[in-house]
Amino acid sequence: MRDDDRSAEFVDFTHAHRRDLMRTAALLCAGEEAHAEDLVQTTLTKLYLAWSRVRRADSPLAYARRSLTHVFIDEARRAHRRRESTMAEPAEALPSDPVSAGTDLELREVMLAALSSLGPRQRAVVVLRHWLDLDVAETARILDCSTGTVKSQNARALTHLRAYLGTTEHHLILEDTP
Amino acid sequence: MTEHDLKRALGLAASTGRSAPDPADDLARARTARTARSRQRVRVGLSSLAVVAVVGVGATVAVTGQDSPAGPSADSSDTSSPGASDAPGAPDAQGGVQLVAAKFDATPYTFDLTPQGWSVQGQNAFGVTIAPEDGSVSDHRDDFEGKLVIMFEARPPGGRPVDLDGRRFWITGDSGYTTISTWTVAGEPHGAVRLQYPDDTGWTEETMLAFTASVHVGDGAQIPGRGGPPPAGMQSLDRAAAERPRS
Repeated sequence: MRDDDRSAEFVDFTHAHRRDLMRTAALLCAGEEAHAEDLVQTTLTKLYLAWSRVRRADSPLAYARRSLTHVFIDEARRAHRRRESTMAEPAEALPSDPVSAGTDLELREVMLAALSSLGPRQRAVVVLRHWLDLDVAETARILDCSTGTVKSQNARALTHLRAYLGTTEHHLILEDTP
Repeated sequence: MTEHDLKRALGLAASTGRSAPDPADDLARARTARTARSRQRVRVGLSSLAVVAVVGVGATVAVTGQDSPAGPSADSSDTSSPGASDAPGAPDAQGGVQLVAAKFDATPYTFDLTPQGWSVQGQNAFGVTIAPEDGSVSDHRDDFEGKLVIMFEARPPGGRPVDLDGRRFWITGDSGYTTISTWTVAGEPHGAVRLQYPDDTGWTEETMLAFTASVHVGDGAQIPGRGGPPPAGMQSLDRAAAERPRS
């Protein structure tokens, strides 16, 4: 395809979906906006370089979200040398200045702190399964692991989030999805 | 106690205070990256002219002109058009990675084949990082962007199975990388060898399979989490190849 066409499509796509990608990246990065911005920029560059694949995807946005998750996992692998685990026990993960229940802003801060206390892969599982609503098989494919691993990571992550928020005055209602 | 559903809580956490930047900035970054990649391809293409010995494993792997991670070799006559399609399987690269029949050592990993124009950037008991020599990637050995990474893991291989010379390999790929994994063979430490190849750098499925099959895992190799890392080191693959007798 002509370069002008590719560029025009890329700009249109970016204009339409950058905010969506930034929100997903913000969750993956547990609210570190500079890191999230880096992820989105890297992802958009990769998409441009493989634009023909983006065009052929059933859902270009879904393709972009998958790419974003891959970029995040790759970077986490570099930083953590491929092995990570839950970083803190819920009882130790209390915010230094516990917030009270009530406002969305407080819940946002508690939720970001809870996400940051998960390892990158567990956080990715939570985002893919419960934010992007992907099924277990698709999540496993994106993370290059078995469906059993997704289920177990998801269960551990939800247990951790539930316990973490339980130390505040917020309470998560979680469906028992695998 | 206030109750919230997870989706709503994630929605709040996903909110950012940033306004969306101008897409033109993203386009400018992407175009810069494409220019850098094109320069890299030209360099690979020129270096391939000097290759005299090209070998295959089970089949000829002399390939030029295809940068897709999948599909058969492309006709090299299709490679001269700089504006060729970048669709998967379409030959828009200026050249492909050439494997020569020369062993090199990245202890505890050894290789029967050497990719021309690529150098070992980091090595330890857990794996090896091999980078193109054209300066297109970071010098930091723990930065895997655009590099070939060999990992030794306990996690089972997965993906599309491919049999080569009686050995099974599994291929997966997404987001700019193709990963080929296989179990180690008898006499090697038990585990899965996983090689992650960056797309659009001249590796074809045939060359990736051939190079993966040429990896030998030595006794010092360790699976992450089961021991401490030995010192890292660097060497030039071409220099290592030149210093060793041909197999």
